[in-house]
Amino acid sequence: MAALAAAFIDRNPYVQALLLLAVINVYLPYRGRHPAGTWKFGLALAIVPIVFSAALSRFGRHVLFTLPPIPIIGGRWTLDAVAFGASTGLALLLTVAVFAILQSTVRSADVVAILPRPLYRAGTTVALALAFAPKTLAAFQSIREARQLRGQRAGWRAAPALLLPLLLTTLERALQYGESLDARGFGSGRRSRYRPFHWTAADLMVVIASLAAIVAIALLPVVPYNPYVDLVPAAPNPDRLIAVGLLAVPAVIASLLRVDHAHHHA
Amino acid sequence: MPIITLEAVSYRYPEAEQPALSDITAAVNPGEVILLRGASGSGKSTLLRCLNGLVPHSTGGQFRGRVLVCGLDTRDHPPRQLATHVGFVFQHPDAQFVLEDVEAELAFGLENLGLPRPLMRKRVEEVIDQVGINPLRRRRIDTLSGGERQRVAIAAAVAMHPDALVLDEPTSQLDPQAAEDVLQVVLRLVAELGMTTIIAEHRVERIAPFVDRIWTLDAGVLRDQTPRIALAEGGARPPVVDLALRAGWTPIPLGLRDARVHAQRLPANPPPQPSPTRGEGDLPGGSGLIICRVDGLDYRYQGVPAVQGVSLTLRRGQVVALMGRNGSGKTTLLKLIGGAMRPQRGTVTNEGVAAYVPQDADSLLFAASVDEELRGQSAEVVAPFAAWLHRYPRDLSSGERQQLAIALMGARADLLLLDEPTRGLDPEVKRALSSYLQTRAGAGAGILVATHDVEWAARTADRILLIADGEIYADGPPAAVLSDSLVFATQISKLVGRGWLLPEEVPL
Repeated sequence: MAALAAAFIDRNPYVQALLLLAVINVYLPYRGRHPAGTWKFGLALAIVPIVFSAALSRFGRHVLFTLPPIPIIGGRWTLDAVAFGASTGLALLLTVAVFAILQSTVRSADVVAILPRPLYRAGTTVALALAFAPKTLAAFQSIREARQLRGQRAGWRAAPALLLPLLLTTLERALQYGESLDARGFGSGRRSRYRPFHWTAADLMVVIASLAAIVAIALLPVVPYNPYVDLVPAAPNPDRLIAVGLLAVPAVIASLLRVDHAHHHA
Repeated sequence: MPIITLEAVSYRYPEAEQPALSDITAAVNPGEVILLRGASGSGKSTLLRCLNGLVPHSTGGQFRGRVLVCGLDTRDHPPRQLATHVGFVFQHPDAQFVLEDVEAELAFGLENLGLPRPLMRKRVEEVIDQVGINPLRRRRIDTLSGGERQRVAIAAAVAMHPDALVLDEPTSQLDPQAAEDVLQVVLRLVAELGMTTIIAEHRVERIAPFVDRIWTLDAGVLRDQTPRIALAEGGARPPVVDLALRAGWTPIPLGLRDARVHAQRLPANPPPQPSPTRGEGDLPGGSGLIICRVDGLDYRYQGVPAVQGVSLTLRRGQVVALMGRNGSGKTTLLKLIGGAMRPQRGTVTNEGVAAYVPQDADSLLFAASVDEELRGQSAEVVAPFAAWLHRYPRDLSSGERQQLAIALMGARADLLLLDEPTRGLDPEVKRALSSYLQTRAGAGAGILVATHDVEWAARTADRILLIADGEIYADGPPAAVLSDSLVFATQISKLVGRGWLLPEEVPL
């Protein structure tokens, strides 16, 4: 959450770069569980805005080259526009990366277990919703493939025609979930817990660091970055760098734990 | 005292004109195993959902009469309160899980009951052994196959120690091996725990020997009969019952074991050759014009061979069945021939338009009405669906949707490639599919069907291809290929042997 907030609020490239490093470091201990697909998708997200911004924006003082007056892409291509696109793309990439980490590290059973009893029903709903996202994506894929088999166009233009069947499939599945929950006694009374979540020192540290980061990111003044005004970004506020640095705590802890294990094995 | 009683139950869905259930009175006694039969759309799911209160609590609609579950009236007690009495397993393997891993899922229902932790732990361990899913306990649900998921769903239901287990076509979305694994689990629970079980299931021949009673639903009207009477009357039934009725065996055998005694009295030496209606002129070098030539086809998924060195010729006028276990390369071969995938080596030459119809034909329909789906098709294609034109495709039964999808995809094709078209269909719809394919073949189309369904293939196909590990290892008329196979054998072939595949072929 803190990382997401940071990714959206601050467009300063120094901060962004640091955040990316933190995110990659947190991800490393879990690599191999998810294929490179997400990263490819993220990279595409990062590159597309650069191309668009560079090709379409005519503003800025640092001209790279000038194309003959072809419609749309003709004219001056500026470094400022490339920088703007890169900054936007990096924000998108960060968002995807943060979600990828969330998906590969957080089990919804734990999310449910961690919540206090009064929030249990809401928590389970959230857990279900989290589980729903990948399934909806899969449903979207299969509908698209089905359309292709029937010889209909598959481009993004066809997306609206896909939405109705997708919505229906998702609703049908949601009803089925509801019935399943009901049939298994969900909400019939006071619940007990099979595997309560045990807080470890490491967990606590991560939570505290994240909370601190959220507070810091929200409260500290933002140094705005606008490549059209000034191509070279201003030096970021050191406090903010520290705040983003806090987000690397999970990675630090993970590596400490590994060292620990190594000692034990030795 | 019965565990469940239904007293004059009638039910109508909201906005429906016809009642889904009419005046049903029945009872389920402790330890009974009840098979629920009926064509798709006859109300099976609706009736099963009445047993734990999902009808009417989750569906709304007009409900009359009453259902008592262990003395509790389902009108006053919602499904969550009946969860300790009735365990429910749904048809679709993927939409009934809440959490991500198997063990958490098994405990979910127990947590809802508020059981103390040591007791939960004990129940989870016990059910893991009863259902035999120890290797799966640490797995994530999304890495499980359909059959594994259904076994976990059964375990999750059994862990709550219900008084009765209700299963709504638990195998209809599974391939035969997975379906067999799931039914094994059900039969083991019946044998070892005396679990009271109500199951809707198309694979009647597998279940029939073990049931105490059969409920047959026909347009919302229920007949509650002993198995022999129900099967003699009609509906979905094992092939041995058909043979027994023809031969006048009494009492009617329900399974192979009962039938063997009678089978020994069959005439000892009929000519050991295939019956005259099949097996002629349909050998690989048959008479029709060639529609497709496949030569030296190879395909690998990341180095793992899926299709290896396949060469074959398909002709117009032939219905060819492609059979093999899961992962043997059936789907890949169909896609290669249909052009949905490109071969890595070898060639496919089609002398006409090929259409590939995937396994889940449902997903091919997405218009707002049948009329809209059929827009632009010839009158010939539209005609059979005249009665449904204004219906919404997703409201059709699964069999009806399948028919519609196949008709749509195959409308302009000279070569139809169908992937598992009979999965989850009831016998009547399967027969309709057979005759549709035979008609199309008669009109000059070539047809290749990947299927696991031996009985259906024996009845429908002119030629059988067996595929394993990406290679075709047997090719010929059904009587030749299926009669000496142990795995791909019809029930009659297992019983009588000597080349007979279907009950009506056996000379008496």
